[in-house]
Amino acid sequence: MSGFDRSHRRLRWLMLAPALGFVGLMIIFPLLFTLHLSFTDAFGAVNAGKGYDGGQNYLDALGDGRRFWPAVWRTVYFTVGAVVIETILGLAIAMLLRKPFRGMRVVRSVLMVPLLATPVAIGILWLLILDPTNGIANHLLGALGVPPQEFLGSVSQSLPVLMLIDVWQWTPMMALLLLAGLSTLPEEPEEAARVDGATSWQRFRHVILPGLWTTLMTALVLRAVDALKTFDILYATKGPGGGSDFEVETLNVYAYGLTFDYQEYGLAAAVLVLFTLFIVGVVVLLRRRSREASA
Amino acid sequence: MSDIQLNRRAFGRLLAAGAGAAALSACGSRGTPGPDTPLRISAINHVWSQAVRQRLPEFEETIGRRVSMQLLTADQLASSYNVKLNASATDIDVMMVRALQEQLLFARNGWLADLTGLVEGDAAFDWADFQEAPRDRSITRGKVLSVPVVTERPALYYRKDLVSSPPATLDALREEAFRLTSRDLFGYVGRGQRSGAVTQWSSFLYSFGGDFTTADGGSGIGSPEAVAAYRFYGELLDRAGPPGATNMSLEQAMPIFAQGKAAFYIDADAIYSNFLDPTISTVREQVGFAPFPAGPAGSKPHNIPSWSVGINAFSLLRDDAWRFIQWISGPRMVTELQAAGIPGARASAWADPATLAAFPAELAESMRINAANGIGHDRPEVIQVGRARDIVGRPLVAGIIGQDVAPVAAEAHAEFADFLVRDNRQQEF
Amino acid sequence: MNRTLWTALRALAITVVCLIIAMPVVWMIAAAFKTNVQVTDPTVGLVFSPTLENFRTVLADGEIVRSLGNSALVGIVSTVLSALIAVPAAWAVGRFRMHSTGSLVLVARIVPAISLLVPWYYLFAQLGLVGSYTVLVLSHMFVSVPLILWIMIGFFEGLPIELEEAGHVDGLTAFGAFRRIALPLAAPGTATASVLAFIFSWNNFMFALILSDEDTKTMPVTLFNFISYASTDWGGLMAAATLMTLPVLVAAVLGQKYLVAGLTAGATKG
Repeated sequence: MSGFDRSHRRLRWLMLAPALGFVGLMIIFPLLFTLHLSFTDAFGAVNAGKGYDGGQNYLDALGDGRRFWPAVWRTVYFTVGAVVIETILGLAIAMLLRKPFRGMRVVRSVLMVPLLATPVAIGILWLLILDPTNGIANHLLGALGVPPQEFLGSVSQSLPVLMLIDVWQWTPMMALLLLAGLSTLPEEPEEAARVDGATSWQRFRHVILPGLWTTLMTALVLRAVDALKTFDILYATKGPGGGSDFEVETLNVYAYGLTFDYQEYGLAAAVLVLFTLFIVGVVVLLRRRSREASA
Repeated sequence: MSDIQLNRRAFGRLLAAGAGAAALSACGSRGTPGPDTPLRISAINHVWSQAVRQRLPEFEETIGRRVSMQLLTADQLASSYNVKLNASATDIDVMMVRALQEQLLFARNGWLADLTGLVEGDAAFDWADFQEAPRDRSITRGKVLSVPVVTERPALYYRKDLVSSPPATLDALREEAFRLTSRDLFGYVGRGQRSGAVTQWSSFLYSFGGDFTTADGGSGIGSPEAVAAYRFYGELLDRAGPPGATNMSLEQAMPIFAQGKAAFYIDADAIYSNFLDPTISTVREQVGFAPFPAGPAGSKPHNIPSWSVGINAFSLLRDDAWRFIQWISGPRMVTELQAAGIPGARASAWADPATLAAFPAELAESMRINAANGIGHDRPEVIQVGRARDIVGRPLVAGIIGQDVAPVAAEAHAEFADFLVRDNRQQEF
Repeated sequence: MNRTLWTALRALAITVVCLIIAMPVVWMIAAAFKTNVQVTDPTVGLVFSPTLENFRTVLADGEIVRSLGNSALVGIVSTVLSALIAVPAAWAVGRFRMHSTGSLVLVARIVPAISLLVPWYYLFAQLGLVGSYTVLVLSHMFVSVPLILWIMIGFFEGLPIELEEAGHVDGLTAFGAFRRIALPLAAPGTATASVLAFIFSWNNFMFALILSDEDTKTMPVTLFNFISYASTDWGGLMAAATLMTLPVLVAAVLGQKYLVAGLTAGATKG
């Protein structure tokens, strides 16, 4: 440790304290509160619980095959589906934009629009576009001879359609992240592979992709966390109930419904705790994979 | 290690902040509010609220205090009550509530102030003038907790250019709807969303001879009458309704009729003005209004207080809040609002021909008939209405997406029976 | 020939991608210039005689103008305060490789917002803060602090440490080295991070919905005014949404290079 470092030791904590203290304060009370609620039978109001119930809420949630487990699977299905498509498309777009060209500025501006636009406005906008009767989407499909689709009005199409909206919104972000990753790759290994006669696919598979791995995994972690927690767009398009057949009821939507529609605060808190643990698990798993791969 | 230390320090600070907060709240911040504190009203974004808002200056002058009225959608309003009242918040004074949706739960939580003495103690307010059905729903465990301001019955909206006279029975409605369904027109449009459809379906249920619960408090949705009503409603929307009907609540169904894309539409009578508004409607000239058609058990529509006003039990401005309720639901204002096309709950206003002149003649007549036949609830009368609607609504959705209703209804019946037992246990308060 | 063909194909592919991404937003802007009947009529495409009526109504509505003002105020104050505490923290984390401490940032991102709202409101109500700007600013800072921290850690890591060490040799205190050397160098990064933090605050719906009241309500919540009990004023809604998106679009066009750098900061380092 250099002298420079040592003299900074006190300072660095001083510099960190306000930010860390603020975030910690804002997060610790809610976490403890939720944990406490999850062990009570609070119903109707948060202070209406009659005491600790010994984990009954957790047993109820984990034993519930009607609402809880289907919500888990929908969350997994939505996240995996959306993130996989976004990664593949994002990678393709990043490769497409990799070599400089005229108009790059414009394209980059366009790519930022979906992720900077107001999510509530975007949700309502998609509702207008995908309206089965009055929407432009069916009108365009009709011109191509495709029969009208129900989109968000259909019990079976809703989740895939929402996945595609998520893909629209977040693929550009993925592309931008991967593009930034591509720009940091050294050119020599790729040039060497070219000289050795590797095809462009081989160069991509064996040179570019391994070099991009760290960026890819970081982007995956960030995107997966947000995708698991997706809410605004589900709320804006299907209302608070997760759809008539619970077709888009993910864990987040379920926890929202338990809290605000059913007022089952104890059960809701237990579901939120399980949900948080689930996200933490995914993050830990992805980070471990990424560390193993880069080691 | 450093992480843990930091967390502990942060936790210590949290506790300190908590203690400080408690001290603060003990001395003063919960005391009497100053003259600058506005009277805060939380309301649904509804024509009633908009009409009230325009008249606020008059009231502000009488109480010498500013009024701040927040308009939200129904879901947002419910969520904000949840968050705020759980914290015993004082920043809501007057709250707009649905007597049939939240009142029982809020009463259990002690969130609504007792208005009994106030409404009965003021002769000019004339509490007895309120129609009996809505007045009954305002009373929980012997206490008046809200005052009804908007009432609602279903109306049959139909297209005069497509049928010569409105169908008088549900069978005729179905036949006409199927006949009129074509590539460019839906025979029928209505709510199909699990929870949102329940209230409109209730009139079908009653007219088929069923109810949500039986006389002894058990589940009524497994009865042959209920299953027939499920089947009827599901088939109607499945065969004559628009695509995506299961995603439709009021907000989605109404525009379809307003744009001339459906022949029949049954929904709240309070929304009729939308069809006469040139910026929304293309059927101003063609729209007709009729009473709810008769089913096997006759025409039994609901007639309910859809929105009421109450006072937050934690409000620091209870006197001014009550003066607001006196002003807005007093005989004069209710008559004035009803004359502007917003159906209220006062018998005197309904008896006044001037208030009915505001409505199209056919509609006024259909409202009168529906009110006479009306049943005072449009959803199960339980504490946890949200969950009850989700259970009761499932077979509706099954019917709309073309599934066999009977097994789904049987399953819902069993689930609802269990639910009622649990809900009943929570009723002891 | 092969090369020209590839170039053409690539140009075509890029154009298609941009069109797909831009179309919905273009549709929104077009709808803002339509009457309500036109908005829900799919045969009215992008060619129609535009009306400014929606914008006139929206701008004449004092509430919307006030909400835009509230959004701007809350956005600016929360961003400035966040930058004040997050930038020094990012410097500490970036300079001294305190990454495990920095992980707290990730925790803030993991916790579902639903589990925060009820407890926050409870806490703030006890402090007498609800219904004021303070509580909105604090909640928005909860999003901004981690965001700025995340971006700036990468930024400070990219600055050569030798400069600060040289300053130290020249007699600057540790804090002086940060303030006179690192901070000025980090100005572009701070600006980028702040603009992004402002945009995310500008767009935030959930916190404002619960924590604001009639006087402090921000624009995303006011948008729902157009969705009333029975009918939706699509034209007005789209005009208001367009007005809301406008500053963001301008930022995206003018600052695209920096904003992209900010958004992708940290991802390439791992």
